Amino acid sequence: MNAAPLARQPLGCLKAGLRQARQQRLFRRQLATATTKKPAAASRSRTGPGLGPLPEPNFYKIQDPKTGKIRTAFAVYNPPSVIKDAHSSNIKPKPVTEFVDGKPVFRLPWTNRNTTMPKVLTAPVTDPLPALHAAQIERLDPTGARTAMFAKTKQGVRAGDILTVTHRRGGEPFSGVCLSIRRAGIDTAILLRNHLSKVGVEMWFKIYNRNVAGIELVKRRLKRARRARLTFMRQSKHDMGSVSEIVHDWRASRKVFTSGSAEKKKKAAAAAAAATAAARAKSGAGKKR
Amino acid sequence: MLNCIDNSGASLVECVMVVGQKKHASIGDRIVAVVQKQRNAQAAGMSGLSAATKVKRGDIRHAVVVRTKQKVQRRDGSVVRFDDNACVLINKAGDPVGTRVNGIVGQELRLKKWSKILSMAPMQA
Repeated sequence: MNAAPLARQPLGCLKAGLRQARQQRLFRRQLATATTKKPAAASRSRTGPGLGPLPEPNFYKIQDPKTGKIRTAFAVYNPPSVIKDAHSSNIKPKPVTEFVDGKPVFRLPWTNRNTTMPKVLTAPVTDPLPALHAAQIERLDPTGARTAMFAKTKQGVRAGDILTVTHRRGGEPFSGVCLSIRRAGIDTAILLRNHLSKVGVEMWFKIYNRNVAGIELVKRRLKRARRARLTFMRQSKHDMGSVSEIVHDWRASRKVFTSGSAEKKKKAAAAAAAATAAARAKSGAGKKR
Repeated sequence: MLNCIDNSGASLVECVMVVGQKKHASIGDRIVAVVQKQRNAQAAGMSGLSAATKVKRGDIRHAVVVRTKQKVQRRDGSVVRFDDNACVLINKAGDPVGTRVNGIVGQELRLKKWSKILSMAPMQA
């Protein structure tokens, strides 16, 4: 599963790590059931708070008349009949007075022998929209890394942290202070602010966008921001200015742990290989002569 | 009122018309502008006819908007917003008046075929 964020956390917060492991165990259990049973249905039957299985949609295709390729398609989810029934049953029936054998008997209308109980389905009421969001998120973020990164947890990104967003199309990665996180299911987006050539630039990025190749946390805010949206950072009094130095330092420090050490290892290995080769040559020479 | 970020000599221009449309101008749109303020006027006066005084205060020129304070949405859902409005002066044929652009420009210029300005700019966002 997704063990990388666990490893990246400092060792001190064991409690948080354990909590995450517990969550992942739950998640794994779901995944296991998904793989053993039919996967197509399982991918849509994402469970969660208030989420039932997604109802069957009606698909509409728009084809290109020339090539015959499907240009675009959309699904229409009908509101489940369950909701209608539940609404109709919300109206409380009044007790009816009937005379049985000359005695008045109060009873609710459906307790009559001839009429049956009104349909009250016990199936969970499924709102198609959250279920659709969940299904789309699962499709665009199969590992759950982005969801976990921007979840409202202690490990999650908060406003005030410095992030770097890399594009799939190339170009320079955009980094900046996260001013706000707009949580809206599949449309969840982050607002980053930075100064590029002395001009303030702000960009919104959709976190589940496929063009967004990577989002990395560069630096956390030293003190927790007490606002959800730090729009005051646009004022010159509170403006952070350019974060490029911080990002540069972070890149450099990351190189120490990754490629730098790899190069050192390579050098060491090369040196060792050279030494052994020299030794072999010596011994070979000794054997030969 | 927009900043002018090239070395044509203007530093502040006023938009008087958006060319070719009746809406507001966005990044990559052509406007007609009046030069309101010259860049370091006294230095330009000292050097006389330098490259930095191609336009004077009161000149009417065409320009291309390169940054807007208004948010501009892209095809992939990302949105860009700059802290100021800025433009680059061009002549009627569409070639830039200045020889250099100092400052970031929006990537929408590529869609609207202003590749000359894009290549002159140090950065694009």
